[in-house]
Amino acid sequence: MLSELDQKSAVADKLVITDSDFEKFRDFFYRKTGIKFENSKRYFVDKRLIDRITATETESFRQYFSFMRFQASGHEQQALINAMTVNETYFYREEYQFECLVENVMNEIAASKRPGDTIRIWSIPSSTGEEPYSIGLYLLEKWPQLDNFEVEIVSSDIDSNVLDKCAQGIYNERSVSGLPARVLKKYFTQIGVGKYQISIDLREAVKFTQVNLAQPTQTRAYRGFDVVFCRNLLIYFDDASRRNAADVFYDALLPNGFVFLGHSESMSRISSLYKVRKFPKAMVYQKPA
Amino acid sequence: MGLRKTSTNIALPDENVENENREVPRDFTQLKFQILSLEPSERRWAARDLGNHPEGVPILLETLETETVVPVLDAIFTSLQKHPTHECVNGLIRFLSSEDASVRNNAIEVLQSMPNALETHILSLLNHPDSDVRIFAIDILQQLVHQNAPEWLKSVLLDETHVNVVATAVDRIVEIGDSSILPTLERVAQRFAQHDYIQFAVNTAIERIKEDTYA
Ligand SMILES: C[S@@+](CC[C@H](N)C(=O)[O-])C[C@H]1O[C@@H](n2cnc3c(N)ncnc32)[C@H](O)[C@@H]1O
Repeated sequence: MLSELDQKSAVADKLVITDSDFEKFRDFFYRKTGIKFENSKRYFVDKRLIDRITATETESFRQYFSFMRFQASGHEQQALINAMTVNETYFYREEYQFECLVENVMNEIAASKRPGDTIRIWSIPSSTGEEPYSIGLYLLEKWPQLDNFEVEIVSSDIDSNVLDKCAQGIYNERSVSGLPARVLKKYFTQIGVGKYQISIDLREAVKFTQVNLAQPTQTRAYRGFDVVFCRNLLIYFDDASRRNAADVFYDALLPNGFVFLGHSESMSRISSLYKVRKFPKAMVYQKPA
Repeated sequence: MGLRKTSTNIALPDENVENENREVPRDFTQLKFQILSLEPSERRWAARDLGNHPEGVPILLETLETETVVPVLDAIFTSLQKHPTHECVNGLIRFLSSEDASVRNNAIEVLQSMPNALETHILSLLNHPDSDVRIFAIDILQQLVHQNAPEWLKSVLLDETHVNVVATAVDRIVEIGDSSILPTLERVAQRFAQHDYIQFAVNTAIERIKEDTYA
């Protein structure tokens, strides 16, 4: 007798994703998320599709695909999106950008505000939260003017699983390895072997929301920000989706607001909407006044 | 002061939006009027939202004729990019000769993202009066899998008079040409005997095609 698990893997072994299935899925996923899977990602995609087909106990790609698209609750669509996203991230990733934030960008913004005013930062995609929490940590540790302003940090991701992790704020050794020991000690509690939870003060200082950057109905509510961080997402987008993202940030920013992109990502090829600002430690894009 | 606690009074994005000009219903008829608004930010939003309506394409194209505000223009192009149709391509091609460099570059960029819809226009683009448009046509040709592509490039090599356009064609032919193109390349070298760069480009191209053919 085969165990249930063995039966499942026997079914999975028989499943094949054909070229036309792949095309169909790729188009669908692109329209939903802006992410374009090249042929080179075929293995990555097939494996995850087969996992979802098995998990939903559907029998073929076709059956799964129509189940997923027409399911009223949308749960499976979300599960599929969660399975396809790459959530790699860690604390103080590309740290020179946080240095630029506290050494230049925040000071410029502060100069245009009055004491007591609010400064708003949007970090998208959050992934599991390391980026928005790094921003919070950097501001607490290294921005002397923090006491004069109220800084709001909002952070968003399309993936509902990572948002749960953001709220818990529990991280493993690898994720915190870039943090100075002093910062780790001051703001985290070790709650198990190689497990660290970030303090409640920081958890309360970041508002997490679910947003698909490729869906205009979801992004248009995001307005009035002084800074946007969008790092390591545009690399998965094609030019059209990147251009759309540049537009979303433009509308989300106040005049003179700033955009930080990942180090290999650039706005100049996709949008003429921004000025390039070269600060000593990083290059940042700015919405004209 | 400091980091604001979300549990207290953080301004939820969804709440912010109600008090802006979003209370206007976003149906198509209204968008058609809003894109004529005197307020650039309203025009920008109308242009963004018209992108969700395929029937918005002609309106967006028409607005391009008169719009001058960069963020509005940008939104129009982003919305047009969502509709890689013949209608859109036809409309955009006109702007390849626009006086305004930003309009021209945006049109190029958006058209570049729709190579298949452009296929039937390639010949007329290769004969366009503006040499930048002809170079652009050669770039598009490279993205297209079309059986006539080598023929079209050959005609550029034989007839084109603008040196930059020829140079681009020489660069591109390396990828799709075989040894039958070699005499044509030699013709190019003769036609542009005064241009060192063309001599260099032709020699490199000939070498690479020979390497590929006899490898
Ligand atoms: C590699 S992580 C980047 C995290 C962080 N910004 C960093 O640089 O370390 C990419 C994240 O993008 C999210 N994502 C993918 N498509 C998205 C979309 N259309 N809208 C919002 N987030 C998306 C994924 O869920 C994933 O968590």
